[in-house]
Amino acid sequence: MPQVTYRPASGEPITVDAFTDMTLMEVALCNDIPGIVGLCGGICSCATCHVYIDDAWAARLPAPSGEERDMLDGLDNTRPNSRLGCQVTVTDALDGLVVQVAEAE
Amino acid sequence: MTEPAVSTLEPLVYDPFDYRLHDDPYPTYRRLRDEAPVFHNTRFGFYALSRYEDCSAAVRDFKTFSSAQGTQLEELKAQVQLLINTDPPVHTKMRHLIAGMFTPARVAPLEQAVRAMAKELLAPHLAAGRIDVIGDFAAKLPMAIICRLLGFPREDEDRLRQLTDTVVHRDEGVFAMPDEGMQATLALYAYFNADLAERARGARRDDIVAVLMDAQTEGRLSPEELIGYIYLLSIAGNETTTKLIGNICYQLHRHPDQAALLRADPSLIEGAVEETMRFDGPTQMMARTTTRDVTLHGVTIPAHSKVALLFTSANRDERKFADAEQFDVRRNARDHLGFGGGLHACLGAALARLEARVAMEEILAALGEFAVDETSLERMHSPNVRGLTREVLTFTPHRK
Repeated sequence: MPQVTYRPASGEPITVDAFTDMTLMEVALCNDIPGIVGLCGGICSCATCHVYIDDAWAARLPAPSGEERDMLDGLDNTRPNSRLGCQVTVTDALDGLVVQVAEAE
Repeated sequence: MTEPAVSTLEPLVYDPFDYRLHDDPYPTYRRLRDEAPVFHNTRFGFYALSRYEDCSAAVRDFKTFSSAQGTQLEELKAQVQLLINTDPPVHTKMRHLIAGMFTPARVAPLEQAVRAMAKELLAPHLAAGRIDVIGDFAAKLPMAIICRLLGFPREDEDRLRQLTDTVVHRDEGVFAMPDEGMQATLALYAYFNADLAERARGARRDDIVAVLMDAQTEGRLSPEELIGYIYLLSIAGNETTTKLIGNICYQLHRHPDQAALLRADPSLIEGAVEETMRFDGPTQMMARTTTRDVTLHGVTIPAHSKVALLFTSANRDERKFADAEQFDVRRNARDHLGFGGGLHACLGAALARLEARVAMEEILAALGEFAVDETSLERMHSPNVRGLTREVLTFTPHRK
């Protein structure tokens, strides 16, 4: 079971076990990670699961789709390493992944 | 009109099986939020949460507020595992099978089909200057699109819609699905089984059912779950979008200033859809079951209790939204609970938004100014979904 560490906007980092094939948003909701809301349930429609991928990992994730890119471009806090948690699937290869939770918009 | 003081002295009761509630539930919701944010219905033995903060927390906290016993207040009858009635990780696996097919970008190519269908449905009524926007239009449009998505022939649409409508109907004061509903469910299962058998004999078609059949072949869905999935999609794609279009028309009729804004600037139609979802969304309530004792606002909900989450009450909570009981097409609040929230948030939300927006664009373009004939209104009765079954719009007839 891969482990993922979430760094909330404030507070201590939280490391959790993730079911593979869940998304970063779903894993966050399963573990009550503050700041990840997942309002739309993962259909790339609300951007309430915005995270920044730790630099060491950013290049190891599949690139975002055009649709995800468009959603991210519409946010105020977007950075080059921004992703929507609902569009990133956790795999064994991502064991040890660290992400920072973006501030709510 | 001044309300007599006696109305506030009536004991506060939330009974979603009482037809009187369906006419106008909002004053009751307001009292629930203010007087009993954890309401206990002792007659049917369930609880109700009505504030935004509580409902939004509950939809996220599936470990405490589980969907595994169903999302209706009635006991789950023995049946197959449906996506809507599961928790992670089962839910995650089922939802992921097709979630990627319901993002805004993936449903966007349907816009032309929705628009063509909308024009086709409106055209025969323009010379008469009146249309039952439910029976002649909104009941047909979403079913036509879902049939297209699921690959069912057009000539079966009316029959399928009749069956799915029967499934969601509840008799007054009765806390269970009527026999007709069970029979309609069985008829739908038979229809889907026949369709699957026919597909199995032909070449693979490129649609949602084919993706689900692949999942079954790979052992990720049982045959029963496959049927259940199609059942859920056929119902969810029909009922609520129909009622949403009807509710938008009704709210525009009741708020002519807002309708004027849309006519002046049709780009606001998207906002009108969103605001109707917040202010008068079809899905009034979804239920969960507690997995442990939960204490909120000084009331302890015991473990294994049914809890009604009143989404449209949460959406009118003034603790969350300024002027919450005002209908404002420019508000554009996207954090309402009209589509629920969390892992069970409406899978078809992007499709519903698309269908409702295009429907309203075509209605406003074709009808011009319209009014609702309030004597024509007939209402559906369900503890979960609120909306009209008949709603005649009148407008200036078009010359031939």
